[in-house]
Amino acid sequence: MKTGIPHASRPFALLAELTYRCPLKCPYCSNPLELRLAREELDTAAWKRVLTEAAALGVIQVHFSGGEPLVRHDLDELVSHARSLDLYTHLITSGIGADEHRLAHLRDAGLDALQISLQDSRPAENDAIAGAPSFEQKCRAIEAARRLELPLTLNVVLHRRNLDRIEDLVGLAEKCNVDRLELAHVQYTGWAFRNRAALLPTREQVERAAAVVARSRERLGRRPEILHVLPDYFQQFPKACLNGWGRVFLTVAPDGAVLPCQTAREIPGLEFPSVREVALQEIWFHAPVFQRFRGTDWMPEPCRSCDRREIDFGGCRCQAFLLTGDAGATDPVCHLSARHHIVEEALRESPKPQAALQFRTYPARTRGVVG
Amino acid sequence: MLARHARYRWDGLRQQHQLVFPEGVLVLNESGAAIVRCCDGRSIGEIVAALENQLKDAPLESDVPAFLDRLFEKGLVIDALDDAKLGAANERK
Repeated sequence: MKTGIPHASRPFALLAELTYRCPLKCPYCSNPLELRLAREELDTAAWKRVLTEAAALGVIQVHFSGGEPLVRHDLDELVSHARSLDLYTHLITSGIGADEHRLAHLRDAGLDALQISLQDSRPAENDAIAGAPSFEQKCRAIEAARRLELPLTLNVVLHRRNLDRIEDLVGLAEKCNVDRLELAHVQYTGWAFRNRAALLPTREQVERAAAVVARSRERLGRRPEILHVLPDYFQQFPKACLNGWGRVFLTVAPDGAVLPCQTAREIPGLEFPSVREVALQEIWFHAPVFQRFRGTDWMPEPCRSCDRREIDFGGCRCQAFLLTGDAGATDPVCHLSARHHIVEEALRESPKPQAALQFRTYPARTRGVVG
Repeated sequence: MLARHARYRWDGLRQQHQLVFPEGVLVLNESGAAIVRCCDGRSIGEIVAALENQLKDAPLESDVPAFLDRLFEKGLVIDALDDAKLGAANERK
């Protein structure tokens, strides 16, 4: 065991990925490239136990997500249970299946807030990225949430194909009278990494977008509140991924695996304990996968001696692995990384506007597969 | 008053007052918590008066607007407020 691993703080937030099932096929989905079958999902009782253990561990908010969490028939029951534990409940949904009736039930079950995604400001473009007709349903879901006075965040993932319509997207958020607009540039892990050539924007697009956001904030004041998550390939320093590995955040995947990060399965050689076998508290404090990148002792130079080591924690482990082959390396997005040229090369590659997108696929069921 | 997506909570495990919202958690000290629990539509003057009765070290008339202004900047309270110097509420994301 390494010395000097700090006493772990307690987590604030739980990402409860209830299922990998989803009617959409977004090419930047944070779900794994290899998706498990529905039959392996934790059942209602198991999820309730996870929520109970999470609250006892110190979790304050639970984000119900997936795939598409609305495909779970027990969602109301889980929201209600979370609420009874005094957890702040947040639903992250594509909007598909979120009609007024369903949302009213969720609100009555104790849902505190929800987030609905939109892929573009125009129907055809939205549906092309989502991989299925969905724009109308999403707009109806937004309207329903507003009528029910559910606190609502509109989430739009930004990339080359929709960045030029960022002003329209802000206008749409304003027209729909959402409380918050989250404009989140694609993070290149998982499916997004596979599709990077097709999704990576130009620097000009990113700068124009930043200017639009600044002007919009001036014009709109506080409503909607605009959150703008910048693409770290274009930044000097990396993001504080998860606010630090195993520090304030944990994910439970549909099969019960507990992950420090929802894309951590991309990193080979990590073992993820399951809530089916081990108590959540035991996993959070003692599982090797949580200890692996906790604190600063694991850090290589230049992170180890860097003033920013407790600000950005060396960046994203998944990204470090994808770009350098070493999950313990400095995130090469950082301009201080010896391998920063990897990112510069990716940016210099001529944009491939015609690059085909590989859409997220959910495997067909086959006989005899245990999974 | 508190924005709809913000909820006050007492964290028994950490023994602290919190204001929770989708993107994070704000830790509140005693006077901050007392102010937040008065954010139900009352005016600043009414809040100050209510707290003078409640707390021994009641926040001064300048501290309440300062604190609320800070929450306003974070989108956690709604209503226009007078400009004031920032208060000294504890904060942790």
